[in-house]
Amino acid sequence: MPFIQLIKANTRMEFIEMKRYLPNTLSMIATIYIIFLGMLLGINVIGDPAQAEANIQHVIVNYIFWYLTLVTLTNIGFTITMEATRGTLEQLYMSPLGMWKILLSRLIGYMALHGVIVVGLLYLSMATANQWLYLKPDLTLTILLITLVGIVGVGFMIAGASVIFKQIQAFMQILQFILAALAFVPLSVAPILILAPFVKGVDMIRHVMIQGYSWTDFTAMDYTALIVNSVVYLFIGIFFYLKCEKIAMSRGLLGNY
Amino acid sequence: MEEILIEVKGLKKGYKKRKTKEWVQAVNDVNFTVKRGEILGLLGPNGAGKTTTIKMICGLIVPDEGEVVINGITMQKNRLKGLEHISAVLEGNRNLYWRLTARENLEYFAGNRGNSRKEKASEIEELLHEFKLKQKENELVSNLSRGMQQKLALAVALLADSDVILLDEPTLGLDIETGYEVRQLLKKISEAGKTIIISTHDMPVVQDLCERTVIINDGKVIADEKVEELMNLFETSAYVLTLGNELTEQQQKELDVKFPMNELLDGMKLTITLEQDNDIYDLMDLLKKENTIIEKIDRTTINFEEVFMNLIQEEKNHAIHSIN
Ligand SMILES: Nc1ncnc2c1ncn2[C@@H]1O[C@H](COP(=O)(O)OP(=O)(O)OP(=O)(O)O)[C@@H](O)[C@H]1O
Ligand SMILES: [Mg+2]
Repeated sequence: MPFIQLIKANTRMEFIEMKRYLPNTLSMIATIYIIFLGMLLGINVIGDPAQAEANIQHVIVNYIFWYLTLVTLTNIGFTITMEATRGTLEQLYMSPLGMWKILLSRLIGYMALHGVIVVGLLYLSMATANQWLYLKPDLTLTILLITLVGIVGVGFMIAGASVIFKQIQAFMQILQFILAALAFVPLSVAPILILAPFVKGVDMIRHVMIQGYSWTDFTAMDYTALIVNSVVYLFIGIFFYLKCEKIAMSRGLLGNY
Repeated sequence: MEEILIEVKGLKKGYKKRKTKEWVQAVNDVNFTVKRGEILGLLGPNGAGKTTTIKMICGLIVPDEGEVVINGITMQKNRLKGLEHISAVLEGNRNLYWRLTARENLEYFAGNRGNSRKEKASEIEELLHEFKLKQKENELVSNLSRGMQQKLALAVALLADSDVILLDEPTLGLDIETGYEVRQLLKKISEAGKTIIISTHDMPVVQDLCERTVIINDGKVIADEKVEELMNLFETSAYVLTLGNELTEQQQKELDVKFPMNELLDGMKLTITLEQDNDIYDLMDLLKKENTIIEKIDRTTINFEEVFMNLIQEEKNHAIHSIN
């Protein structure tokens, strides 16, 4: 299976980078650890512990959600910008397996490594603070993963723009802002947002965390909406990216002319 | 036996310059074919359209018109299938990950074509030895010399096991010694039966390696010939005249107009290339007018660089004539 080799090679590449730039990696790990710890210790400080716990759970899960979403969203576009400045972009386009699969493999490798680190750190900080949150990992993780599939689609759209424009940092910043805003608007206030990526997932997480929803409390409609949204965004994203690739190839934009 | 592996048909490509917005016709109806096992030199002055042509062959640039067929596969229709037969080094040492080691680069790019490390282990080992990179295999690419980086880029392309290898200026920026080493490696690769297209400014590369050369100028093919034949063609029309006295200024002016491809050494040794054999009489007349003494006439030995310069010069003259 060539695609498996692709994932292996690209995960290994991400792992080597993490290892080789250990100071960067360590400072990232330290930052996330401190943030988790701060949030967990916050439970003890602010008001009524019974109430606070549900809230803090929500905040932490939302934070993880936001963090992984952001990484997923920007990773592919960032890879393209990086590869273009290094001069390796065209070499990647020479693969008979197709560039979008390489980009996807890179992302999968990166997310696998980061996912493990983030989840590991969460448990480590819970142990440190001796504050054990009841996270329902099976349900939250499932919702998270399905939501991220849709985000991958949006990431591909950004990647498409990156292939053509190369510099899209300013745009990314605006996007982060929009994303943060979306995370705070409950779906009940603006139902139309169900068509936006990511919002349905966050909304379901909110129900799990605050109202204590379990697998069976969600309707089939909820799951369907979540899955359809993600799949549609994934396909539109890849399609859009491939269109941009064509444009870049006819304008000669892949090389560093 | 004479199987045609690459067909380049009527390629055209224009760009709109980003700053000035003017239109540049980079490639203007380029046609040629390459047989299996052949090494083709793609030559031309700066901006002639070599890189654009190469990138259209590997599908990185979509042509405005025309198509490239490799092993029966049309690149413009089925690019990924076609890429199974092609690998390329397009920007020499920039085509590598400088933050990975030599070995990691080989392994990564093999993975990107769907090969496992295990599958490629022995081949990687061989390449590291053959390219004299074994001792540096665990060195970061950023710490390697330019020559080693260039060799590594070549090794990466070779590891793809493709029929066709496209090389854009593979000896650019190398010192004489490493340039020589890379040429020897390329020779070996070609003997292994690979089909290679090399775009280059480096005449020794052409003279040493290429059986045939396609010369492009202003996006058009101006010569498509065996290197040997081109050399013969020009050899017979190039002379060295040893003069007994110096030319007058008037003579020199006339000479430059009638025979733009002339070179005067020490005022007495005149090297001249004639476009037609009959031109030799005109030259004699020009010299006789001022009673210039001719002590000796020799045929020159010409190198490929001169052949190339002459071709480009001729092309320019034609362009001027056709305007007038
Ligand atoms: N992406 C691009 N956008 C705009 N113009 C381009 C682009 N690529 C090439 N050109 C222009 O097209 C013409 C041909 O360029 P090309 O790079 O193909 O020539 P070349 O023969 O490889 O030259 P060199 O020997 O300098 O590498 C040049 O005038 C160049 O400025
Ligand atoms: Mg070039």
